[in-house]
Amino acid sequence: MKRLYLLRLGLCVLGLTLTLSVWSQDYNNASQLAQRLRSLANSSSAANLKSLTKTLGGKDIWMLTLGTGDVENKPAIAVVGGVEGQHLLGVEMAMRFAEDIVNNHQSVLDKTTFYVFPNMSPDATEEYFATLKYGRSGNAKDTDDDRDGQMNEDPFEDLNGDGMITMMRVLDETGDWITHPADDRVMIKADRSKGEKGKYHLFTEGQDNDKDGKFNEDGAGGIHFNKSLTFAYDYFKPGVGEHPVSELENRALLDELYTHWNIYAFVTFGPGNNLSSAWRYNRAGATKRVVTSVLRRDESVNKLVSGKYNKIVGTKDAPPSVEPGGNFNQWAYFHFGRLSFSTPGWWAPMVKGDSTMKKNSDKNREVNYLRWAEQEGLSNYFVNWTEVNHPDFPGKTVEVGGIAPYNMLNPPISMIDDLSDKHNEFIRELASLQSSLEMVNLQTESVGKDMTRITVDLYNGGTLPTHSQMGTRSRWLRRIKVTMTLGNGQQVISGRPIQMINSIGGDSSQQLTWLIKGKGSVSITAEAPHTGSTSTTVNLK
Amino acid sequence: MKKYIQHLFAGFILFVLTVPAYAQTEKDLFRAVGTPQNPKVEIIFNRYYTSDGLAELAKKIADAHPNLAKRVSIGKSYEGRELWVLQVTNFQKGDPHRKPGFYIDGNIHSNELQGSEISIYTAWYLTENYGVLDYVTEMLDDRIFYIAPTINPDARDDHILKPNTGSTPRSGMIPLDDDRDGLIDEDQPDDLDGNGSITQMRRKNPNGNFIVDPLDPRKMLQVGVDDKVDPNTPRYEMLGQEGIDNDGDGLVNEDRIGYYDPNRDWGWKWQPDYIQRGAYKYPFSVPENRHVADFILAHPNIAGAQSYHNTGGMVLRGPGAEEDISTYNRADLRIYDAIGKKGAEIMPGYRYLTVYKDLYSVFGGELDWLYGSRGIYTFSNEIFTRYAYYKNYEGGRDLSYRVDDELLFGDAFEPWKPYDHPTYGEIEIGGFKKNFGRNTPGFMLEEELHRNMAFTFYHAYHMPKLSISDVKEKDLGGGLREITATIKNERLMPTHASQDLKYKIERPDYISISGVEVQAGMIVDNEDRNFTREQKTEPEKLRVNNIPGNSIVKVRWIVSGRGKYTITVDSAKGGVVTR
Repeated sequence: MKRLYLLRLGLCVLGLTLTLSVWSQDYNNASQLAQRLRSLANSSSAANLKSLTKTLGGKDIWMLTLGTGDVENKPAIAVVGGVEGQHLLGVEMAMRFAEDIVNNHQSVLDKTTFYVFPNMSPDATEEYFATLKYGRSGNAKDTDDDRDGQMNEDPFEDLNGDGMITMMRVLDETGDWITHPADDRVMIKADRSKGEKGKYHLFTEGQDNDKDGKFNEDGAGGIHFNKSLTFAYDYFKPGVGEHPVSELENRALLDELYTHWNIYAFVTFGPGNNLSSAWRYNRAGATKRVVTSVLRRDESVNKLVSGKYNKIVGTKDAPPSVEPGGNFNQWAYFHFGRLSFSTPGWWAPMVKGDSTMKKNSDKNREVNYLRWAEQEGLSNYFVNWTEVNHPDFPGKTVEVGGIAPYNMLNPPISMIDDLSDKHNEFIRELASLQSSLEMVNLQTESVGKDMTRITVDLYNGGTLPTHSQMGTRSRWLRRIKVTMTLGNGQQVISGRPIQMINSIGGDSSQQLTWLIKGKGSVSITAEAPHTGSTSTTVNLK
Repeated sequence: MKKYIQHLFAGFILFVLTVPAYAQTEKDLFRAVGTPQNPKVEIIFNRYYTSDGLAELAKKIADAHPNLAKRVSIGKSYEGRELWVLQVTNFQKGDPHRKPGFYIDGNIHSNELQGSEISIYTAWYLTENYGVLDYVTEMLDDRIFYIAPTINPDARDDHILKPNTGSTPRSGMIPLDDDRDGLIDEDQPDDLDGNGSITQMRRKNPNGNFIVDPLDPRKMLQVGVDDKVDPNTPRYEMLGQEGIDNDGDGLVNEDRIGYYDPNRDWGWKWQPDYIQRGAYKYPFSVPENRHVADFILAHPNIAGAQSYHNTGGMVLRGPGAEEDISTYNRADLRIYDAIGKKGAEIMPGYRYLTVYKDLYSVFGGELDWLYGSRGIYTFSNEIFTRYAYYKNYEGGRDLSYRVDDELLFGDAFEPWKPYDHPTYGEIEIGGFKKNFGRNTPGFMLEEELHRNMAFTFYHAYHMPKLSISDVKEKDLGGGLREITATIKNERLMPTHASQDLKYKIERPDYISISGVEVQAGMIVDNEDRNFTREQKTEPEKLRVNNIPGNSIVKVRWIVSGRGKYTITVDSAKGGVVTR
């Protein structure tokens, strides 16, 4: 019996190891991710899996709750991946974070709950595994991207038959593009102010199916999750939908988040980056009615957290943060009032050129990527420019080529182990900074005639404030509720039986005082779902 | 026994059959001009209806006029009531949902009742006058009305059936934690005197700032710093709306039903609650609004819209928010102005105003979404104005008391009565009841409904009306013909508002020719000087960005073949015409 059990366990472990090693060859498709989530949820009572909804493309939006004990009343961090459909790495990083907590760091759950949403763009990420890859960001919704009344009338075409959509350059003096001086495979815009003259037109690979002069402007389309939320939503642009939060998956996520009052921070793996460097405070943006700048105190918090991130993860030379209108990271801060941090997780490190290389003087990211990829000995990352016959350009030289889709955002999965560990460590560090309520310096004094004056400091022993400054404005973050609970025959002479406190900074306190008539003991509780609670019993004098 | 039942049954039938005999017939009646004298559906228009009452009236109208009205549900409210829409058109002529559509809704703010009765009146008036008045007949032949009497039925019923003030709930019924203490709707006003209205509480207090008006015991006068009050005159303090501290936190009535504002929930320049109080979670997170938005998105033929509110006598256009001024450009404002100013004439006492500068600057309103996001010309009327009582703007602060005496004979005011309050002790409760102030008194209601309807008719009349007014042919020799067609829009509104053109909200209008072989197609900008723009692909289906109001568009095809041809204009908001 026992042997059988052990045998089964052994087989299981073997199976698990085998499948893990299969997965680790590449990023996961939807069914692989689902299997991995299920096996994680089955492996521990600290992990709970549910599907929030199915997308139009029939894919689950998964939510993994990591927690022990009173899960919903512990301060929580939401970890979100796949906000950008081309960013498979984000899905993997979120997944690995969850696995690492469950397998190696369950003690973190004593104080913090994690809600992990590994992939918000499952319709799009599936395209990574398609036979023709173009780098999809949109979900499965049919969209008229150029708003001309015709649906999907001008998609990409794989002209060179390599299974990828890259770029297409057309030699033409009326074009705006030239090759980069350090690497003639990379196309840049001619700078006419420096006397440069364009030599090429540059388009995505395909034909002008509807003969409107634009190439591939209305293909499969879809709504981009990271452009579909309410902050700075960019109306009528391709991929944003007819109004903010129009899609099943973004509604399902928001509806879910609005029920978890304990969330105090977000970590998003996506193109936005306020971890390598913090959001900057801007007075004009912070004081307008429609706030567009991080608030002053939240900027300080962001700087503190960014410092921790850089110290732990150690990456440098981050590319500029990509925060399109309607993006998720800014929504979580500006419209949901929570601390919100985002990182792409990876970018090609800056290659130090040697004397044999032409100088990449403008630090062009594509030039750098190609150098890095070559140095690392990668393959299939670039499609060399090759001439094709193009029906739309009779008699012209048309070449197809460029960096393969997905590659600049997603390194080979074999390279991310260390990176993932460090990001996991960072998130645990963030959890360790969370606010923590305690009652200290409790004093009781008898004021005669059965009356007791109680004084206590409500102290936040955490590093972070109980509320982001933005959160103090939001109705969706609860205030700290302090309740004085009386016993029989007791009476509050002065002070409030229930009082609400807006915020207490990290390592800061607020003094509370009551005058109570009666004998016996009273209890005092201070609580908010996202700060946890503390209570004490006080004997009356 | 059996026989008895038979008799009873026969009696019942007889009774049913004879009922019409009790109703007055046409010969007993004389048509008051403008009103159907013997309508198929009898409706009393000097009172208000619950959501069930409205649903029943809508059903009666649809049942009585199956070729003119259909009642469809566009979804369910938060509490599970159907959101009914009456589709009113001549269903036997043309494709109903390809006719230019006019959308009407009422009661988004639950306590603002009249819009629902205007909606019912409008559907009733259109159906009862079809075939009687040419204006109405033509309107229903050419256009379709989508009429949603209430888009907040849950809270409408709460306002009517539960204790409220004239201004509550306004919100929908989704419970929300207003004081952020983790408890939800836990301290609502309480109808302590049990009269169905939440009125005021006052308490005798020697330090109070109010006295009872010696000339009118209903009225409280505020004592100013320089006023000399007889020391023996009892003084009062006002304690706010009727209620108790239900949750024991020392505050009274601080977490009432809701609260969110369904008219801060719409997906144009939406902002969250800390910027725009009343916003819920995200655009269309209020389920009733989501159904309306989905309905509008599914009906691109809707070219004009009207939403009804109260109060104050206003015909409002956007922008709602000062930050959104640039959305409303000059070309569209000319159209808004023409219709809005007509509204102020049709409805004496009403003024044509702009939300952000004349009312308040708010984000997430319905009228802004309909215009900004869908390019639909939309007005909100704030129904009823104090002007209506004596047909002038006089009266000041005493007007309500005078109206209560002279026109309502004491029906509006609940006299002050003593009450023993658990927190405040001996107090008095009294004041104006919830059905006074905002909602039009019964004796003036039918006029209110009719005039508001007349305004929407003017608006709906000026939706685009397209025709192919002229077709010219010229023989070019060699078997080629040149066909030039003139497309006319004889009303004020273009097929695409300028907001629509700017962002390509709606597809272009298609002007197509069939039955001949098309060699080339072009839009004619100036026929005399032969300025044309050729469409290189699909010349048989010319794409025209807009057919402006009170204007024409000319198109031309070069065709071969001798056959007869058909020209079709297909416009999302302008309808389909063929010649």
